[in-house]
Amino acid sequence: MSKPYTLQELLVIAAAKEIHDYENVILGIGLPVAAGALAKALYAPHATLMMESGIMDFEPLVPLNHIADAHSCRGFSYATDLFSTFTMTYRGFIDVCFLGVGQIDKYGNVNTTVIGDYNKPALRLPGSGGACDFLSYARRTVLTMMGGTFVEKLDYVTSPGYLDGGGSRDESGLFPMGSGPTMLLTTKGVFCFDRETKEMYLARIHPRVSVDDVKKDIPWDLKIAADLQESIHPTDDEIDFIRRFAPAVSAGRELALELTLRNLEQLLKR
Amino acid sequence: MEGGNGKVMSAREAVSKNVHDGDSLAIGNYTVSTCAELIYEIVRQDKKGLLLYSQSGIFDVEVLVGAGCADRLITTYVLRAGGKKGGSAVERALNKGTLQIEDYTNYQYSARMVAGMHGFSYMQVFEGAILTDLFRKRGFMGENKFRVVKCPYTGRDNLTVPAANPDVCVVHVQRADKFGNAQYWGALGSVAAAALASKRIIVSCEEIVDHEVIRSSPHLTIIPACRVNAVVEVPWGAHPTEVLGYYNMDQLMYGLLLQADCTADGLKSWMDEWVYGCENRLAYIDRYVKKFGSKLLDNIRCKPFYSAPANYGAAFYSRWDWEGRERAMGLTLAEFEQSLRERGKLYE
Repeated sequence: MSKPYTLQELLVIAAAKEIHDYENVILGIGLPVAAGALAKALYAPHATLMMESGIMDFEPLVPLNHIADAHSCRGFSYATDLFSTFTMTYRGFIDVCFLGVGQIDKYGNVNTTVIGDYNKPALRLPGSGGACDFLSYARRTVLTMMGGTFVEKLDYVTSPGYLDGGGSRDESGLFPMGSGPTMLLTTKGVFCFDRETKEMYLARIHPRVSVDDVKKDIPWDLKIAADLQESIHPTDDEIDFIRRFAPAVSAGRELALELTLRNLEQLLKR
Repeated sequence: MEGGNGKVMSAREAVSKNVHDGDSLAIGNYTVSTCAELIYEIVRQDKKGLLLYSQSGIFDVEVLVGAGCADRLITTYVLRAGGKKGGSAVERALNKGTLQIEDYTNYQYSARMVAGMHGFSYMQVFEGAILTDLFRKRGFMGENKFRVVKCPYTGRDNLTVPAANPDVCVVHVQRADKFGNAQYWGALGSVAAAALASKRIIVSCEEIVDHEVIRSSPHLTIIPACRVNAVVEVPWGAHPTEVLGYYNMDQLMYGLLLQADCTADGLKSWMDEWVYGCENRLAYIDRYVKKFGSKLLDNIRCKPFYSAPANYGAAFYSRWDWEGRERAMGLTLAEFEQSLRERGKLYE
């Protein structure tokens, strides 16, 4: 029996396994960077890790503060600009990218811009950044959702998933054939998209979570994989790597923040 | 620092000469190395009515919008301090009706700057965005946020964005010379394009170096002197953001700002202390050290990891060899002049 793990560690491993050897990968901050680092260390040593700020072929040694963080690595192979990173994506050279989600609908269309009215927002979220163009033109996209919600209709369509489902994305003629979101990772399970209908279904479920727990967040009648399985127990190597590389990711945002603030208070008292 | 056509000046002078009420202002930096001191100086001089271009509008936009300097914002990414429970100056200003926003993707924003930099009137962007609210939802730019044109070669519909030529760009780099040649390395983002698209450019830098340093490393120069209006030497000029090779992000100060930024009052008192309360960067760092000690700053100083030197050398720098003979003709200068005379090439 391998050692105990945290839910976040499980998510990082699930994301990392989407990176295959020799692929070109665009990473985002947080969980995706930990996944990229883990993949490079254990499963995909020849993957080329990139960030949209133009940092290409880097090996993160500490977690990144943001997507332009050249302090996270000891040099890198190619310094280009943001414009060229995206034209490279447009031309089809990016195999997989990772994006966070604020709101998502059943066909994997994504909102990261605003909750409520655009001009008088209930919650102003960050915006597109690179999301819209990556979800449009990367061959595959892995979505991660930590605090977000499933909705019937997005408040704002930031990034195109499978549009109205079925063949609508490919038929639009605006995207590479076969591209689109391949997976959604949440704290409750792993969702994939049906080959024909492109509707999201529950493919794997995390430990301590029931199908009803998953369903109660979802406003439509969620389909469940016939062979629904529980996420598999990580290996010691995987756990050790993540915990050393990104302890804050292992802990999760809330606990990491709590522990950091406690340390900060003690520091300021001295 | 003397000379340099009088371009070397203080942040106060550079901002007062080059940033005017109602200007369109581009933040040249993308996420890192943010020109904090130039931004604070704009706030201290209480510039008003700015149309703000910031690609990754986090720290810089919060400060400028929080201070009421900007009433329109063109961006791709804004800050959410403190997650769902928190807020941001941008969110508060939108709800108050004091700020209008226009959202683009990172690439579209860059494309506007690249078009502006090269003197084109628009740039093609990726057509997938037509099916999103980025395209459908228009803010103050209205019809001119995007236009669709027919490609004359393929006949396909091309999505385009208009060129941007901001009035002034403020940008922080690692080093520059007194003439304004600005060297920056690390995450290139759209830094060069944002600066070069702009009509005036204020460069602040960690250090002003000899012109010879620039000459031997032109691959690092992202803005040429001839385009630069002011050069400001400001050590720690991007703090609390990071500058590659100089210092890491200051998590403490960044954390304090994020915490403060959850409310309007919080941001105001943070700015009273760290922006309005410090007349320049020296005073700011003094205050920091008095309050938190110098150890915290020492902890984030970068250790060296130097770029391998690139050899810009050539075999010779004169047509005349060490014996004084012309390298192809094999003649001394006297022999050469003798030939010119013999062939009747010389006029008396």
